[in-house]
Amino acid sequence: MTWTAIARKDFEDVVRSRMVWGITAVFLLLMGIVTLGASSQIDDASATDVIFFFTNIGGQLFVPIIALVVGYMAIVGERQSGSLRILFGLSHNRRDVLVGKLASRTGVIVVATLAACAFAAALMFALFGSLPVPTVLGFVALTVLLGAAFTAIAVGVSAMTDTRMGAMGGAIGSYILFTMLWHPLIAGLHYALEGELVGVEAPAWYLFALRLNPLESYRQAIASMIDAYVPALVGWENIVEDVPAGSFQEGTLLTSNRVAGDVPFYLSEWFAPVVLLAWIVVPIAIGYRRFERADLN
Amino acid sequence: MTAIRTRGLTKRYGSGDDAVVALEGLDLEVADGEVFGFLGPNGAGKTTTIDLLLDFVRPTEGAAMVHGYDTQEETDAVRDRVGVLPEGFDLWHRSSGYRHLEFAIASQNGDADPAALLERVGLDRTDGRRPVGDYSKGMLQRLAMAMALAGDPAVLVLDEPSGGLDPHGIRTMQEIVREEAERGTTVFFSSHILGQVAAVCDRVGILDDGELVTVDTIEGLRETAGVGSRLVLETAGEPDDAVDDLSGIEGVTDVTRDADGLYVSYTDPRAKATVVHRLVESDTAVLDFDIEEATLEDLFAAFTGTGTIAGPDSDSTTESAPAGDVVIEDEGSLEADTEEGDR
Repeated sequence: MTWTAIARKDFEDVVRSRMVWGITAVFLLLMGIVTLGASSQIDDASATDVIFFFTNIGGQLFVPIIALVVGYMAIVGERQSGSLRILFGLSHNRRDVLVGKLASRTGVIVVATLAACAFAAALMFALFGSLPVPTVLGFVALTVLLGAAFTAIAVGVSAMTDTRMGAMGGAIGSYILFTMLWHPLIAGLHYALEGELVGVEAPAWYLFALRLNPLESYRQAIASMIDAYVPALVGWENIVEDVPAGSFQEGTLLTSNRVAGDVPFYLSEWFAPVVLLAWIVVPIAIGYRRFERADLN
Repeated sequence: MTAIRTRGLTKRYGSGDDAVVALEGLDLEVADGEVFGFLGPNGAGKTTTIDLLLDFVRPTEGAAMVHGYDTQEETDAVRDRVGVLPEGFDLWHRSSGYRHLEFAIASQNGDADPAALLERVGLDRTDGRRPVGDYSKGMLQRLAMAMALAGDPAVLVLDEPSGGLDPHGIRTMQEIVREEAERGTTVFFSSHILGQVAAVCDRVGILDDGELVTVDTIEGLRETAGVGSRLVLETAGEPDDAVDDLSGIEGVTDVTRDADGLYVSYTDPRAKATVVHRLVESDTAVLDFDIEEATLEDLFAAFTGTGTIAGPDSDSTTESAPAGDVVIEDEGSLEADTEEGDR
C-alpha cells in the first residue's frame, strides 16, 4: 500500500496550483455580490435563501467545474509526461497511482468546497445573525459529496483516456451530458413510451431516472431540505415537459407536488447520497478496469 | 542467477496486416551483477523492452522475468527490485528536487539520505531546494538518476541515460554505473551511442527493428563483425619488412598499405602501442598516426548489411564525442592511447 505516498505528494503539488484557488476566489467573490444584492431585494429574506443561491450557481456550476478541472489531468497527465514510468520505477502499481490520485484530488476539492461552504455560512450569519445548523450541515455534506462525485468522474475519465484532449473532452462531455442532455433524453424516453410529454404530475420512474443524474439528485435533495424549488441551470421543464408556464416560481414543481400520494424513499432527499456515492464508485471502477488493462505508452 | 530473462518476448500494436511490430521474439539473459548494454537505433524496440519489463505495456507473446519473478504475474515484486531512469520523462514542476527524493524514498520504504543522493549525482543543496520546474534538462536527468537509486535497486534500468547531459554529467553517470556494478547491482544500459555502451558494459546486445541481432562482448563484436578499430600511420619511406612483422602481433587482425600510409586493424586496444614500438625499432620514421574507432554505424553495417541506421541519429557522433566514441582524428594522437583507460 504505497498510494498514501502518491496522495501526499500529489496533494502538495495540486494545492500549490494558483488556478484552483483563483477559480475559488472568483467564485466566492461573485457569490458574495449576488447574495448581498439579491437578499436586499427579496421580501422576508432568510438564511435558507443563501443556500438557495449557493446551490443554484455554486452547486451546479462551480463545484462540478472545479472538480473536473482538478481531476481530468490526474492520470493522463502523468501518462503523457512520462512521469508514470518514474512512478512505476518507484514500486508503485496502477492501483496505487489511481487510488493515490483520487484521494489527493478529492482532498483538494473537499478543501475548496469547505471553503465555499464556510463562506456561505459566514454570509448567513452576517446577514441574519443565526444559522439553521442542521440544514447547513446537510448542505455542506451534499456539496462535498457532489464535489467528490465529479472528481471521481474526472479521475475515472483521466484513467481511461490516453491523451489530454481525450480527457478534456470526457470531462466537458460529462458536464454537458448532466446539464444539457440528461433531461431531454429522459423526457424523450417518456415520450417514446407514453406518446406524450410528461405533465406536472409525473410517474415515479421518470422522476427517479432524472435523479440518477448527480446534479439533479443534488438539486432536488437541497430543494426538499430548504422546501423551495431550486431551478436547474438549464430550465428544461418548460421545453421538454408539458407544465404551465411560470410554474417553477409558484413552487408547483417540488417533488411532493408531482407524485401522487407519498413521496417514495428513492425520491426523498435521503436517496441523494446513494446516487452521489454511486457516481464515485462507478466511474472509478470503470476507469480502474480500463487503466489496469491498458498499454501505457 | 539470472537478473533479467526474456523468452520470445513480442509486442505488436494493432492486429492483422496493419500490425506494427515493436519487438519480435526477444530471447535475452542478463546475469546477476552484469552491466549489460542494450544497443540500437531509436525505434529499434529498446524502450518497448523496458516498458515490458515494468509492465507498462503488455506483451503480445512471450514472457519476461526479473530475478525469477514474472513481470506480468508478479509485477509488484519486480518493481520492488528495479530502479528505472526512463527516457523522455518529466517531473513535478512545483516541488523541489529534495522533495522528489523524499517521495522516492518514502515510496519504497527506504532509509536513504536525500542529501547524499543529491551529492552522488552532482547536484548541490541549493539545487535541491529549487523547484524542479527551474531545472535544466541535465539537472532533471541527474535528479531522476538519484530517484532511481533511492530504493537501492538490485536491477538498475537506464534508458538513454546520457540524454541532456554534458560531458561532465556523462562522466558522473558512468561513474555511478561502475560504482553500482561494484556493489553487485545489475545494470541494464540502453543507448543508441556505441561509445557509451562500450565505456561501461560487460556485454552488449544489438537490437535492430525489433529483433535482437547479436549478443557479445564489445571486443567480440568487433572481432566477429570485422570492424575493429584502425591505426592509420604516416611513415617516411616504405616499411616493407615491418608489415609482415606487424600482422603477427596479438590483437592485430589486418595490415594493409597504400601510398598514404599504413593501416593496422586491431581488436585489442593494447596492440596499438606494440605496433608503434615495432615500427620505431625497425627504424621506420613514423611521421604521424591517427586512430579510427568502429562506430555503431560500422557495427550495424556489418551485422545488418544495410549500413544505414533508422532514426535521426546523425548527430549522435557530435553529441557523444566527449566520451571518446567516434573516429578520433586529433593531431598528436598519443593522448588518444590513454583515452581508453580514462573512460
